[in-house]
Amino acid sequence: MDGLRRGDLWRMAWRTLLLQASFNYERQQGLGWAWALQPALERLHADPERRRERLAAHTAYFNTQPTLASLALGAVARLEEQRAAGAGPDDEAMTRVKGVLGAALAALGDRLYWFTLRPFVACLGVLMVLAGSWLGAVALWVCYNLFHLGVRFLGVFWGYRAGTAVLEPRLRGRFERLTEVLAVTGAVLAGVTTAWLLAPAGQPRPLVFEAVLVAGLGLGFVVGLKPRPSLAEWALGAGVLCVVAAWFR
Amino acid sequence: MSWHVLATVLLGGLAALDATPVAQTMLSQPLVTATLLGAIWGDWRVALEVGVVLQLLAASTLPIGSRAPEDYATGGVVGAGVALLAAAQHPFLMVQESAALVGVFAGVVTAILGVPLVKWQRRRNEGLSRWCEDEVRRGHEGAVGSAQRAGVVLAFGVGVGYSAICLALGAWLLGPLVAGHSLRLARAWALAQPLWIGLGLAQIVQAFVRQRVSRVVGYLAAVAVAWFLLIVTGH
Repeated sequence: MDGLRRGDLWRMAWRTLLLQASFNYERQQGLGWAWALQPALERLHADPERRRERLAAHTAYFNTQPTLASLALGAVARLEEQRAAGAGPDDEAMTRVKGVLGAALAALGDRLYWFTLRPFVACLGVLMVLAGSWLGAVALWVCYNLFHLGVRFLGVFWGYRAGTAVLEPRLRGRFERLTEVLAVTGAVLAGVTTAWLLAPAGQPRPLVFEAVLVAGLGLGFVVGLKPRPSLAEWALGAGVLCVVAAWFR
Repeated sequence: MSWHVLATVLLGGLAALDATPVAQTMLSQPLVTATLLGAIWGDWRVALEVGVVLQLLAASTLPIGSRAPEDYATGGVVGAGVALLAAAQHPFLMVQESAALVGVFAGVVTAILGVPLVKWQRRRNEGLSRWCEDEVRRGHEGAVGSAQRAGVVLAFGVGVGYSAICLALGAWLLGPLVAGHSLRLARAWALAQPLWIGLGLAQIVQAFVRQRVSRVVGYLAAVAVAWFLLIVTGH
């Protein structure tokens, strides 16, 4: 049995980009997970029968936040390596480890990427566009991918190095601190965006604009408390009311 | 104009890929696709007006777990595309504003109607993953790669097809409205734009604040200080 090489980990890292290529309700990221882990299994299991059995087992249900899935992937590759050497966990334990890693990384990653970084870069991009720069979209894309693609590629290496200890307090702490810093900075950024909307380049907007903006903010806070109707449905309804009001004025 | 439309539809396919199946780099976010379309059509103003509103509405739409969120990837492309198509024929400010209004409508409707399509793709992929496991157990390891490719091709095809249909319907239904009622629609835009921006911005603020008083104070202080500085310094 050969151990995993750096090139295998790079191939896995590239393949994480297709983690959700065949996302579905039954196994969610299961197929993408097996696809990403395939280079490791090819290296570790020379016996085709054994390799196929492991590959088929990895097509089972798996789900986590897609960026941080790289950490789980690296950690599980490490376990597969130990297993191929005759020392790793059995099938049941492997499934349990995947489940635990998936759930823990989802809790961490959802907060960082979906609830904080995504609104942060959106706000940054919008502010730049409102200030007259077409580079808002570039800023949005670059800022997000510094954290996203960086972790997506390097995460496989971190996970492989740490094994199941990938969720040790030090790494967790770093992610949590980053979330905190982005949320506080984001609140300030959203404040600056609001101020710019009220008085772009120091020129106060017409009173109607300011009043409707504040009404929209207020409505948005109330709407956000309930999942249904969705924000898109509220936006559609509010837009229709505006058209009706303007039509018959 | 035909290559502009073709590029718009292809961008719809790419955005559909980026949204879930490939990489999730945020290329599919409405502000990014609107900027690209602004460059393609040579009209930044209309594209970015639509892009900003749709981006703020999309920022809080989260693809968590198996939830199928509104399809703002296609919505962003169709919204900016419909607005650019409508504005291309009448380059006056009032027409551009009414084009932006119908563009946002087209984008939001496309995003909402895209949800069943996303669910359909996910159900189709269920069969694909079962087939793949059976094939691997039979000795065909390449089935995993084939299934992944099939998932990508399906998502791209659906993205292109859905963008084309929505763009055509939007231009057909809303284009004449822009040409015939631009004054009323421009007036509606003056009301709807700040309302939509407020709705979207509130979700972003909520995401950062998370019911913590210190952050609410930080947000309000930032509004006050930035507003004061803008008024005093003028930039």
